Amino acid sequence: MDRRIPPAPGTIRPWALPPIRRARLESGLDVRTVRAGSASLVTAMVVLRAGESETPPDRAGLAVLTAKALEGGTRRLTSRALAERLERIGAGFGAATGWDSTTVALSCMAEHFGEALPLLAEMVASPSFEVAEFERYRAARMATAVQRRMDPAALAADHHARFVYGAGCAYGRPLGGDRETVGALAADDAHDFVAARYGANRAAVVVAGDLDPDEAAAVVEAGFGGWGAVGKGGTGEAAVPRQEPGRSVHVVHRPGSVQSEIRIGHIGVARTVEDHIPLTVANLALGGSFSSRLNLNLREEHGFTYGVRSSFAARRSAGPFHISTSVESRVTADAVQEIVGEIEAFAADGPTPDEVAAARSYLAGVFPLRMETPGQIASRIGGLFVFDLPGDYYRTWRDRVREVTPEAAAAAAGRHIRPDALCTVVVGDAEAVAPGLEGAGAGPVRIHELEPAQS
Amino acid sequence: MIEISEHTLPNGLRIVLAPDPATPIVAVNLWYLVGSRNETPGRTGFAHLFEHMMFQGSRHIPRNAHFRHIEEVGGSANATTWFDRTNYFATVPSHHLDLALWLESDRMGWMEPALTPETLENQRQVVMNERRERYDNQPYGDWDERLQALLFPPSHPYRHTVIGSLADIEAATLDEVRDFFATWYLPNNAVLSLAGDFEPEYALERALHWFGEIPRGPEPPPLPPTIRLPFSTGGTLREEVRGGVPLPRIYAAARVPPFATDAFYAGEIASACLGAGRSSRLYDRLVRARVAKSASCHLLPLTSGATIFVAIATGLPDTDAEELEAALLGELDDASTLTAEEVARAAAQARTRVQRALQRMETRADLLSMYAAHFGAAERLNGELARLQAVAAEDARAWSEAYLHDDNRAIVRYLPETA
Repeated sequence: MDRRIPPAPGTIRPWALPPIRRARLESGLDVRTVRAGSASLVTAMVVLRAGESETPPDRAGLAVLTAKALEGGTRRLTSRALAERLERIGAGFGAATGWDSTTVALSCMAEHFGEALPLLAEMVASPSFEVAEFERYRAARMATAVQRRMDPAALAADHHARFVYGAGCAYGRPLGGDRETVGALAADDAHDFVAARYGANRAAVVVAGDLDPDEAAAVVEAGFGGWGAVGKGGTGEAAVPRQEPGRSVHVVHRPGSVQSEIRIGHIGVARTVEDHIPLTVANLALGGSFSSRLNLNLREEHGFTYGVRSSFAARRSAGPFHISTSVESRVTADAVQEIVGEIEAFAADGPTPDEVAAARSYLAGVFPLRMETPGQIASRIGGLFVFDLPGDYYRTWRDRVREVTPEAAAAAAGRHIRPDALCTVVVGDAEAVAPGLEGAGAGPVRIHELEPAQS
Repeated sequence: MIEISEHTLPNGLRIVLAPDPATPIVAVNLWYLVGSRNETPGRTGFAHLFEHMMFQGSRHIPRNAHFRHIEEVGGSANATTWFDRTNYFATVPSHHLDLALWLESDRMGWMEPALTPETLENQRQVVMNERRERYDNQPYGDWDERLQALLFPPSHPYRHTVIGSLADIEAATLDEVRDFFATWYLPNNAVLSLAGDFEPEYALERALHWFGEIPRGPEPPPLPPTIRLPFSTGGTLREEVRGGVPLPRIYAAARVPPFATDAFYAGEIASACLGAGRSSRLYDRLVRARVAKSASCHLLPLTSGATIFVAIATGLPDTDAEELEAALLGELDDASTLTAEEVARAAAQARTRVQRALQRMETRADLLSMYAAHFGAAERLNGELARLQAVAAEDARAWSEAYLHDDNRAIVRYLPETA
C-alpha cells in the first residue's frame, strides 16, 4: 500500500432527515413531531416567540428571568414538587432564552413521555411566579451580571455589542440585562410578560425521539389542549441601526490580565438573508473551522492563541459578525493586525475555489453528524419556527450547499464582511497592550476603565 | 444493549467494534494508556503538549493535513489528555471509515520523522495560551490545581493538573517528545474503538490493514507504587484565595475509592443524591434556600489508587462565605441520612444519563475504549446501568459515612476582594 495516498471513500449511504409530522391546533399551536434516535429517548421543546429583542430598555432581562423562573413552580406544584415529579422518572428540564425566542425543553425516556409532557405544558401555561421563588431567580440573575463583569469573554462580548450597536438598540445590551434593570423586575412583570407573549398562537411544540410521531402528537394535543392564544404582539425584530464606516479600537482595562480577549467585527446580517448558505460557506473558510485561514494563521503559524473563530450570529434581525480569540498579552497588537489583514484579503478576493470546495464538502458531510440525537433534531426544527423558514428547509439544504459556486461565496463575503467598519474590543491590561495597538491599523484606540465590581 | 465485539491484533492493539446503523456515521476512538499521571517530575503538562504534537503531521501526512482531511469529508476530530489516558477521536460519514483509520495509524506508526523544533515551539506557545486562557486569566481558573495539591501527597501522580505549569511546558525538549512517543505510543498500549454504521468484519479487516504492520513495543513502565494511599487526608486541609473572583465560592473535595472498583457505584449514586438535579439536596438546601447561587457535586472517574469527589457552591453577592461553607459541609456531613426515595430518583436520573451518553457515537466509542482500558472488557459497559441501579440506600449512606467526613476533606475557598 502507498500510505501517502488518502484512501478512497466507500459507497455512500444515502440519508435524509426523517419526515416531520406537522399539525396546527385550533389554538394556533404549531405541533411538529418526528421519529429520531434509537436510544429510547425523547426531547420535547416548547419554542415561544418571547425573546429579549422586544423587551423595553428599562425591562432588559425580563424574557430571560421569566423563563428561568418557570422552573420555580406552577399554580399547582411548588418548585420542589415539580422537580421531584420530573426527576423521579429521570427527566431533565430547563428553559433558555435568546434574542428571538424562549425554549423550554424536556428530555426523558420515551416510556415516560406521557407522564412528563403534561408537566412541561403546566410549566409554560400556568407558572406561579410565587414571590419568594421569583426573587430567588432574580437574585441569581443579578449575580450572573456581577460574574460577567469579571469574566474576560463575557466582558468582551458585552462591550463589543455595546460599541457596535449602541445603547439605543436591544442588541447593544447584555442579553440578560444588567443589575439595575433586572433588580427592578417584579413577579407581576413576569405574569404580564407571559400574558402577552406565552400563547399557543406564538409557539411551536417540537417532539423528536424514539416514539411514533402520531402518538407523540396526540400526547402534545392532550397536554397543551387547554392552552389559549394571546394577542398577536410584535414581530420579534430588533430595530438595528445601519452599519456606518469607520474603524475603532476599544481597550477595556482589566488590570493584571495575562491574555487579551479580542472581538473584531461589525453589524452582520439577519438569519433569513437570501445568501445565508453562500455566506456560511465563506465564513467556514475565513474562521469557521480548524483549517480556516484565521486559525492556521494565528494558531498554527504564529502560536498566538489556543484558537480563533469567526461567526455570523443567527438572529431575526442583523446580528453581529465577529472574530473572537484570546491571545497572550504581549502579542495583542500583532494578533489584531493579522486578523485585520485576513479580513481585508478575504473581503476583497473571497475564498479560493479549493476553500469553497472544502467548505461545501464539510457542510454537506457533517449534516448527519449534527442530526444524530433527538435533542439536535428538535433544536433544528425549533429554529425553522423561530426564523419562519420553510418546513422542508433541511430536506434540500445539502443540495443547496453543494451548489454554492466560488463566485457566490466571494460575493457573499464581499457584501457582508466590511473591513471599513471594524470595531475592535480588547479586554486586557491596558498598560501592557494599548500602546502597541495604536500601530495595528485597526483604528484609533480608546481606553475604558471598568467600574469596580461590586458585590 | 449494545452489540460489542472485542479483538486483539498480533501487535497487541485491542479493537472494540460496536455497530449501529441508525445514522450513516462512524466514530473512531483511540485511547493511549498514558496521561498526566505518567509524567516525570519537572515535566508537568507534558502528556498534553505531546497530544498537540500528534496533530503536527506524520511521515505520510503533512502538517495541517489531519484536520483538513477530516473536515473535507464532513467529519469532526479532536483529542483530550486526562490523568490516566489520552484519547484521539474522529467522527466521519461512515463511507470514510478508511480515511480515519489511515490518519490514526500513520501517527501511531510513523509520527517521529515529522517532529521538528519549529512545530514543538509552535505548539508550546499554543498550549501555554491554552493554560492562560483556561487557568490564569479566568476567575476560579486554578481551583483544581489548588485542590489536587491539597488532596494528594507530593509523590502521587494526581498531585498536579493535566495542563501542567508554564515553566515545565517551557522546559520540554524535542528529545523528550521522541522518548515519550517511543515509551507510550505503542499498539500494545492502546485501544481502538469503533461505534456506528459499519460491518464488523470489514472494519476489523481495515483496522488490520492500517495498524497491522506497526510493531509491538516494549511493555510500558508500571506506575510507581506510591499510588496506594488511604481514603483519608488526616484532617480538613484548606486554602483561601482572596481577590480576582466576583462571588464567594467553596470547593470541598474528598479522596474516595477509584473508578473500576465496586465502591465507585455507591459513590456515583450518593453523589447524584447530593448534587444532580433540582430535587437534589445541594440544590434544595443551598440554592432553593438562597444560601448559594449554584451548588453541585461530582465524582471523577480516575483509577490510580483514589479518585476525587468534589462539591462546589457559589454564593450570591450578599452570601457570607462562612455560612456558605458551613451549609456545604453540613450536607456532606449529613449525607449518611440519604433515603431510599432519593436513591431511587438518582437511579432514574442515572438511566437517562447513561442513555444520553450512549446515543452519540462519539461518546459511545470513547466509553468503549474506557471500559476496555480500565476493566479489560468493553462489554462491561452493557452492565453499567444495572450496577448503578443495584445501589441500595444503605450502600449510598455507608459510602457517604466512610468518605465524606472531616478527616478526609480538602477545601479551597475563593473570596472576592471586597468580602
